[in-house]
Amino acid sequence: MPVLTFLEAIRSALHDAMAADQRIIVLGEDVAVKGGVFLATDGLLARFGEHRVIDMPIAEAAIVGVAIGAAIHGLLPVAEIQFADYIYPAIDQILNEAARLRYRSNGDWSCPIVVRAPFGAGIHGALYHSQSVEALFTSTPGIKVVVPSTPADAKGLLITAIHDPDPVVFFEHKQLYRSVRGDVPDGMYREPIGKAAVRRSGDDLSVFSYGLMVHYALTAAEQLAADGIDAEVIDLRTLAPLDRHTILASVAKTGRALIVHEDTLTGGVGGEIAALIAEHAFEYLDAPVRRLGAPDVFAAPFADPLEAHFMLNPQKIAAAMRDLAAY
Amino acid sequence: MESKDDPLHIRLGLSPEQLVAGLRTMITARETDDRLWLLSRQGRAHFVVTSAGHEASQLGCAWAIHIGHDYVIPYYRDMALVMALGQSPLDIMLHAMGRRDDPSSGGRQMFGHFSSRRLRIVSGSSSVGSHLVHAAGIALAFRATGERDIAVMGLFGEGATAEGAWHEGLTIAGIHQLPVVFVCENNQYAISVPQRHEVPVEDVATKATGYGMPGVVVDGNDVFAVYAAARQAMDRARAGEGPTLIECKTYRLRPHSNADDDRKYRSAEEIEAWRARDPILRFERYLIDHGLLGPEQLEAMRREVRAEVDAATDAAEAAPWPLPDSLTDHLYGSVSR
Ligand SMILES: Cc1ncc(C[n+]2csc(CCOP(=O)(O)OP(=O)(O)O)c2C)c(N)n1
Ligand SMILES: [Mg+2]
Repeated sequence: MPVLTFLEAIRSALHDAMAADQRIIVLGEDVAVKGGVFLATDGLLARFGEHRVIDMPIAEAAIVGVAIGAAIHGLLPVAEIQFADYIYPAIDQILNEAARLRYRSNGDWSCPIVVRAPFGAGIHGALYHSQSVEALFTSTPGIKVVVPSTPADAKGLLITAIHDPDPVVFFEHKQLYRSVRGDVPDGMYREPIGKAAVRRSGDDLSVFSYGLMVHYALTAAEQLAADGIDAEVIDLRTLAPLDRHTILASVAKTGRALIVHEDTLTGGVGGEIAALIAEHAFEYLDAPVRRLGAPDVFAAPFADPLEAHFMLNPQKIAAAMRDLAAY
Repeated sequence: MESKDDPLHIRLGLSPEQLVAGLRTMITARETDDRLWLLSRQGRAHFVVTSAGHEASQLGCAWAIHIGHDYVIPYYRDMALVMALGQSPLDIMLHAMGRRDDPSSGGRQMFGHFSSRRLRIVSGSSSVGSHLVHAAGIALAFRATGERDIAVMGLFGEGATAEGAWHEGLTIAGIHQLPVVFVCENNQYAISVPQRHEVPVEDVATKATGYGMPGVVVDGNDVFAVYAAARQAMDRARAGEGPTLIECKTYRLRPHSNADDDRKYRSAEEIEAWRARDPILRFERYLIDHGLLGPEQLEAMRREVRAEVDAATDAAEAAPWPLPDSLTDHLYGSVSR
C-alpha cells in the first residue's frame, strides 16, 4: 500500500474517482492551471481537461451555486473554497439552496455536491486564513459535515462524499496536508460517512475530537499512559450526522468525557456532544462532561505568542485529561 | 412563403392554434390569480403572490422553451409561465393550499415556488437572485457532458439584479458564453421600492455589456415582442452562441402579495394607466382583429376557464394534507450511518 501525505491522499481520491466516473467535475479558484493553492488538484487538468477541471473567478456563491446547477443536471461536482475563511459568501448557497433542494421539492430534485475547504490554524494564517467554521454548518439538516484526520480517511471519506446523494461539506486541516503520512489504499477506497473511529482504546476516560486535534489528543494520551491513565481517543470524522452510538458506547465504558476542538468553545460542536452525553449517558458519568476549545476570539491572531496562546497543543490537552481523570 | 405583409404571428411562425391556446393560458393564469386573492381574503389560502400583468412576458418566454428539454428556473411571479409549460390549475391550487399532492413541493413551500423535474422546472428558494448561479451551473454541465442544442432560461425581477448572486450568475455565463437566457420581468418595483432606488441605470438590459452578452429591451406586455426576443435568444443559446439578457418592461396589476398594500407607494392613476395596457386585453384584440377568435368564442373560453378553476379549487380543498409524520421525509437521500 502506498504511503501518502494527507494532501496526496486528497489528490489521489480526486484522481481515482474522476477516472472512474465521468460525472465528476472539480471547480474552484486556481484549481486548474495552478492545481490549487495547496496543490490538492494538481495534475487533474492535464488528465481530465478543462471541461471537468474548471478555474472559477473569485465568486464563492457562484462556485457553490454552479456546482448545485451542475448537480441538478446529473453531475457530481466537487467545489473548492480556497480557504474556509471565505466560505461566508457561499453560505446562502450551501444552507438555503444545496441543503434544502431535496426537501423543498419533496424529493423530486437532489444535490449531490461536495464543498471542500482547507481550514484551521497553526500556519501563521492569522484571522482570515485559519478559521474553523464547521459549527456554522452542523445545525442545518440536509448537509453532512466531514473532517478527516488521517491520509486514509482523507481519501476514503472524500470518495464516499463524492458519491453521497446529498451535499457534503468537507473540511481539510491545512496543517495536516504535509505533516502526516500513512498507508492509503489504491483505487476506489471508501470510508463510511457518519461513523467515528476509535484511534486509541482505553478505560479511564474518553476524548472526542476531530481534525488536527485528534493527533494532539493521541500524543497527550501517550503522556498520560506513562502515568497509568488509560485514555480512549475517538476521532469523530463526521460532525453531521454524529455517530451517537460510538460516542455513547465509549462514555458508557469510561464514565468520563472530554471534547476537544480547535474551534472556539461557545457554540462549537462540543456543546452538542456534551448535550448528547448529558441526555443519553448521564447514569454512566463519574464526572462532569468537559470541553476544551479555543478561547472565544475570532481565529488565531498573527503574532506568534498570540497564535500559540490561541491554539491547543498536546500539553493543554494532557492537562485537561489529567484534571478529568482526577475528578 | 412568409412575406413582410403577413400578419405578425405568421411571420413569427406561430399557428392560430398556438395563439388560441396561449390566450387560454393567459386567461387561466389571471383567473387563478384572481381566485387566489379571493381565497386568501376568505382565509382559505394563506398566501398569494401575483402574476397579474406579467402574463405576456411569461407566455412569450414559454413559447421559446422546448418543454421538458430546456431547463427553466422561474421565480415566484411565474405562474403563467409554468402553466404554459404544463402545470394545470389543479397543480397550482394544490400548491397554493399546501396539499400532499402539490407537484411543486408536496406542501413544503409557500405559493409561488414552482417545480417539476418532469418539465425541467427547477425548484427555487425564496432567496431573491440566488437561482441564476444554478442556471449557469446547469449550462456549464452541458459542456462536461458534450450536450448541444439545449438551453437554460432563468427569470427574475429587476430588484433581483442588485443581488450579489445575480451578478455572479451572469458573470459565469458571460465568461464561458454559456447557453443561458436571463429574463428580467421589470415591473418597476421591488415590493415598494421604485426602480430608481434599486437599479442605477434606466434599462436593466444595459447591464448585459458588463457580462459580455447582448442586452435586449422589449415591451413585456406585447407577447409577440417578448416571443421574438426570447426565441432569438434561445436559438442563439442552443446554437452555442452564448447568453442573452432580456428585459421585459411590464407592470404588476395587483399588490406584491396579499400581505402588501400598494396604496402606500403607487398612485391609483398609475395603476389605471397600466390597466389600460393589460397584456391580455391586448392579445385578445389581436386575435379578434385577425379573425382568429370571435367574441362568442372568447366568452365561451372565459366560461370554461372559470369552470376549470372552480373545479380545481374544489378538488384542491378536498385533497388530502401531507401526513404530519412526513415532516422529516426527504431530508436526505440516504442516511449513511
Ligand atoms: C434575498 C432576499 N431578500 C429579500 C427578500 C424579500 N423580498 C421578496 S420579493 C422582494 C422584491 C423583489 O423585487 P423584484 O426582484 O423586482 O421582483 P418582483 O417581486 O417585482 O417581481 C423582496 C425584497 C427575499 N425574498 N430574498
Ligand atoms: Mg420588480
